Amino acid sequence: MTLFHKVLLGFVGLAAMLPLIGVPQYWLYTLTIGLYYAMLASSWSLLVGYVGRISFAQAAMSGLGAYVSVLTGMYLDLPVIPSLLLGVAAAGVLGLFIGWLTLRLHGAYLGLTTIAFGEILRITVTAEHQLTQGSRGLQVRPLIEGAGPATYYYIFLAAAVASVLLMLLLLRSRIGLFFQAIREDEDGTASLGVNVTLWKSLAFGCSTAFAGLAGGLYAHFVQLITPSMMSMQEMGYVLAMAVIGGFSNVVYAAFGGVLLQILLEALRELGEWRLAVFGIIAILMLRFAPNGVFGWLENLLKRKG
Amino acid sequence: MTLVAIAEQAANGLIISTFYALIALGIALIFGVLKIVNFAHGEFYMLGGYSCYLAVTLLGLPPIFGVVFAVVILMAVGVLVEQTLIKPIHTGKVDRPDEYAIMITFALAIMLLNLANSVFGPWPQSPAPVSRGIVEFGELIIPGDRLSAAGIGILLIVGLLLILRYTWAGKAVRAVSQDRAAAETFGINISRVSMLSFGAGAALAGAAGALIGPVFNVVPAMGAVPAIKAYIVVVLGGLGSIPGAIVGALILGQVEVFATILIPDTNRALAYKDAYGLVVLILVLLVRPQGLFGKPERRA
Amino acid sequence: MQPQLDISNLSKSFGGLQALKGIDLSFQKGELVGLIGPNGSGKTTLLNIIGGYYKASGGAVTLEGHKTDGLAPSTLARLGIGRSFQVTKVFKRLTVLENMLVGALADWRLSRSSARDKAHGVLEKLKLTRLADSPASSLSGGQAKLLEFGRIMMLDPKIVLLDEPFGGVHPELKRFMYEKIVEWNEAGATIILISHDMGSIFGLCRRVVTLSYGDIIADGDPETVRNDPAVLEAYLGDHHAA
Repeated sequence: MTLFHKVLLGFVGLAAMLPLIGVPQYWLYTLTIGLYYAMLASSWSLLVGYVGRISFAQAAMSGLGAYVSVLTGMYLDLPVIPSLLLGVAAAGVLGLFIGWLTLRLHGAYLGLTTIAFGEILRITVTAEHQLTQGSRGLQVRPLIEGAGPATYYYIFLAAAVASVLLMLLLLRSRIGLFFQAIREDEDGTASLGVNVTLWKSLAFGCSTAFAGLAGGLYAHFVQLITPSMMSMQEMGYVLAMAVIGGFSNVVYAAFGGVLLQILLEALRELGEWRLAVFGIIAILMLRFAPNGVFGWLENLLKRKG
Repeated sequence: MTLVAIAEQAANGLIISTFYALIALGIALIFGVLKIVNFAHGEFYMLGGYSCYLAVTLLGLPPIFGVVFAVVILMAVGVLVEQTLIKPIHTGKVDRPDEYAIMITFALAIMLLNLANSVFGPWPQSPAPVSRGIVEFGELIIPGDRLSAAGIGILLIVGLLLILRYTWAGKAVRAVSQDRAAAETFGINISRVSMLSFGAGAALAGAAGALIGPVFNVVPAMGAVPAIKAYIVVVLGGLGSIPGAIVGALILGQVEVFATILIPDTNRALAYKDAYGLVVLILVLLVRPQGLFGKPERRA
Repeated sequence: MQPQLDISNLSKSFGGLQALKGIDLSFQKGELVGLIGPNGSGKTTLLNIIGGYYKASGGAVTLEGHKTDGLAPSTLARLGIGRSFQVTKVFKRLTVLENMLVGALADWRLSRSSARDKAHGVLEKLKLTRLADSPASSLSGGQAKLLEFGRIMMLDPKIVLLDEPFGGVHPELKRFMYEKIVEWNEAGATIILISHDMGSIFGLCRRVVTLSYGDIIADGDPETVRNDPAVLEAYLGDHHAA
């Protein structure tokens, strides 16, 4: 374990202590939202950073997970956990399908197709207002009746850590090697007997399933969801988080999500300017430090260590 | 439906098509020369709207100069963006050029959107239109602001086509679009043509924003929907194809107005209005990625 | 005897261009065949069809008695067709060792540790052991070609398709590659070699097939093909045109 990994683990350990050392509820709430974005940003990085497939439908997939979980709970009277799992399955299966459908598309063509899928999802959720209350928003029952902020915080911390660990487990397996080989060269990977079609589709499905989980948990935490959680603007925040944290690594991307959410709250006086500044930082990062803040930090510590 | 109603819808479709074409032509021009899709195009359009608003409402210039002002400002913005963010792609300074191009323009879009939110606030502004009143063609009634905006839009499109066809710069742009390597051997300065096309593409979006601003109000988020329409248009016509962008715009304009009135449940039809084109986009990319006018790509 | 790889009446057109005009060819197990022809004569197209990257417009490819029509490149690789590419397709951001493991791990019966052992063995044979943990992006052009060889060796292929393996490789390394190709062939692999490097082709191969404008114009032992006036004509014609 390198020095950098110890520092990151230290952060996670510190995060686990926060409710015990009396951090205000307001900040626990902020961090819980940050952990939602951590899951979403790392799920996006799983696809973009490792498989080299771009998607702008990640926020929409999170929304799909959220709406499926909420609606199945409402109309089928399912308990929270099974409805959450249905949300994950819906996002995963749709992702798998989109991944399979877009096998031959690359780069900007894939970007445009995923924008189209994301927007169609958002428009559908908005249009079917008898079912979803449209843009007025849908009331959601809580994850656990009567639970306080600290409970939610721990649930989200556990979910985020578990998600990232699962992703790392997948990436360390031979499947992760196939993903990265596909990112580097698809024909070259196929020439070595790797079923490129299967793994490209499956990567899409895995990534969207994690997004669906994040969205479902989020819905039962904030208890009011609107179609705006599926918008391209929301997608832009997720992209900025992953890029600033470092989209080539699921761990960096996750930390990017938490970091940006903390900054967003800490710099409240700056109003809308915060988001403009995040945009500028994301652009500068892409141009000059494509491994993101945490990639840069890791390099720095490596050189010192 | 009466004949007049049909004609009115068709005319509406044509007017909308003009703006779609104006925005789409910019995307096509940029894709043709630089082989990248500019995901910040809707925000260029929005900046055009605000440039016009600044010139007309704050500086008190006549509305037509608002459009000129927007064109000049967006040309400058386009050139600046090309020089700082896009040029590194073609000079080998970026590791993963494809991913970089997509993400950097997407991040630029988010940045410009939030910048406009910070500077101008989320409130709608409405600069004075080039002309007011209504125009009557027999029984057909068309609002004057839309008609004049579309008229200027058509003039701009014709102007662009003439420039591409007859001027040296236009020929250079077409040469680079068709075959970059060959154009280079013939002594065409690729980096200058790239800068010019990105600037011109941004200026076209700016013009569209300036023309529509007075009709539908200027707000920071105004670019999102038209940009997506323009992506549908260029994909339908074939990415990078100039005639494709125009024909694609004509088709989409008509499809949208008639699809909406042909579906019996009006509320539902309207709610899904923006989704029809997206379905078209997905189908085209899956079945015929080169669009109506593009050449198929051959994989090596 | 049934040929290992049989190509019958194979044609391919791209739009109006006929890249292959209905050719017949067959290969016996253990052959070492050179495939030559001027630029655009259809060599790489043929390789791409055999490997499953292109769909033929007509005709058939038969591998050990089974039609390969419609099979994906990865399936064909698993069935024993290994190939290299004209422009090397090494995975630049993966290490040399990881590059080697991809093909071996595609076979789920092979454990990770045995794949690793096997990879180290092949790397040693190719004298790349020292570079095992370096990213493939740090390799020279010639080393990248060697790495491609190594990746194919990991598949234990029955048929190896090599597309311009000597392009930009310096002479010393080239001789080393000759040795490896011969060893490979002697171990039982059928090798089909495309190269513009006539010295390599005529030095290595026991049979040379010449393509021109999508047709086979000569097929025989190197001596016969070298002296065939049609082959000379195809190349000279090409030079005049160029």
